[in-house]
Amino acid sequence: MALVKIALAGEGGQGVQSVAEIIAEAAYNEEKQTIYIPNFGLEQRGGVSIAFIQVSDERIGAPKFNKADVVIALSERAVGRTAHYSDENTLFVYDSGFKVDDTDLPSEAKKIIGLPAIDTANKELHPRVFNIIIMGAVIGLTNIVDFEAAKTALENKLGYKFEKNPDLRELNFKALELGKQMAEESLKEGVQ
Amino acid sequence: MQQVITESKKAFMTGNETAAWAALASGADVMFGYPITPQNEIMHYWTRLAPQYGRGFLQTEDEISAGFTVCGAVQSGKKAFTATAGPGNVLMQEPFGMAEGMRLPLLAIIQQRGGPSSGTVIYSQQEVALTTFGGNGEGWRIVYSTATHQEIYDYVIKGFNAAWKYRFPTFILGDGYQAKMREPLEMYDPETRGIKMIDTYPLIGLDGSITTAEREPQHLCNIYSLEEELYDVVLKNSAEYKSISPEIVEYEERQCEDAEIIILSHGVVSRAADDAVKALRAQGIKAGYFRPITLRPYPEKQLRAAIAKSGAKKLLIAESAYGQLYRLTRQEIYGETIKMETLFMPGVGIIDYDIISKVKSIF
Repeated sequence: MALVKIALAGEGGQGVQSVAEIIAEAAYNEEKQTIYIPNFGLEQRGGVSIAFIQVSDERIGAPKFNKADVVIALSERAVGRTAHYSDENTLFVYDSGFKVDDTDLPSEAKKIIGLPAIDTANKELHPRVFNIIIMGAVIGLTNIVDFEAAKTALENKLGYKFEKNPDLRELNFKALELGKQMAEESLKEGVQ
Repeated sequence: MQQVITESKKAFMTGNETAAWAALASGADVMFGYPITPQNEIMHYWTRLAPQYGRGFLQTEDEISAGFTVCGAVQSGKKAFTATAGPGNVLMQEPFGMAEGMRLPLLAIIQQRGGPSSGTVIYSQQEVALTTFGGNGEGWRIVYSTATHQEIYDYVIKGFNAAWKYRFPTFILGDGYQAKMREPLEMYDPETRGIKMIDTYPLIGLDGSITTAEREPQHLCNIYSLEEELYDVVLKNSAEYKSISPEIVEYEERQCEDAEIIILSHGVVSRAADDAVKALRAQGIKAGYFRPITLRPYPEKQLRAAIAKSGAKKLLIAESAYGQLYRLTRQEIYGETIKMETLFMPGVGIIDYDIISKVKSIF
């Protein structure tokens, strides 16, 4: 596969970095070249947290990038903070429940996609798996890792919690599946 | 000492974690350190791993003390190291200077952050001048600038051996990006790759009496009474540093044979330079790639040779600093008439796009 660049951004505590780490681990486990780097400036103390992920079959160059193939903004603030990572080749994803000014959205994008991730998490699953829905969406949008590999990576990361409460496994896998479906649907539809 | 890695294994981890594992695999006895971002996790992982393998750790009251405790530990024959960044690297210059003056086999891992002062906690290549020629000495240091996690692993191992073989302080110069990013690498036991780890030895407190002339006295000195004494020592050490330099120098060079422009970079930026050269070549621009791996000693002859054989008209120096690699390079290749162009992006990352755009603007 050609190089895929993903920027994932949200508030501290939303699990942005955990999700990025699981996706990167899954790609690594599939023998792909992978780089994951968090932003770790002072904004980590109360600001937008961004994860930069790159996956490729070939050796990857610089650890960061100016423009992403997929940008996912998981908070209203994150939309404005990440708009500059978008260009005409970028899928720019945010939660359709956000109140966002058009001026905050990127001026250039291949497609701007609003996904009802928060709403789905709250109503159908559990607020805690919001980030896993997003992880599913990343896979649905990019196919950077096989779905089963993603489940394995999730198991590796959260297995110890699943052992204590097997319902959690089902909840997480369902969230992953829903996120993937949601993303795939969005690619079929026109611009939201 | 307990073997750390029995069989080679792939890993996906941060550069800091890589450095801690490499120090373990190198047989390091003890780390002294003081926390500073972005190197914290070297200490963090070391403190987790060290007790499992019977190794030591001490957090000192500051970086000056961390550097001096390493100076002390190596004199007792312990394979000791430290890690720091930014203002911590500034504070450690005094002990690093002592290590130069007393020829102590100290190893320090530097993860560069933004400067001046506290700058950012994130990334830069602004500690080149400090790490190569910091302190009040003459730059008798061995400085490896790494670009990948594999290199962090390889050069920590190599660095310990260089320090103990040549008895000059040795530095692994990384940066915040390398420290914090995760990427794959292969970890191995050095002996299984035919790398013999040099046995350490005490520098002081040796057996035998000097009064009965059983052995020569150890004369490890960081201060001299007479100007002439110091003068002799500095000349002797300078000559030794010069004479061992050819066997220490390391560099990478690609496609310079017919290059019209050579792109020179070091560390993590060289990854972007490599991509840029490939992209430029694909567009019909004859670009070449040159990367000093050792910033001290600098691959001066090799760079001069690359310039000569290519007949390149331009040398583009790209760095995440405002001219530190440029000044280092300029003094090393003094007399060359190739036109030097610069891409200075202090404290921020450089990607292939930046280099390609710059080349096109000057080509």
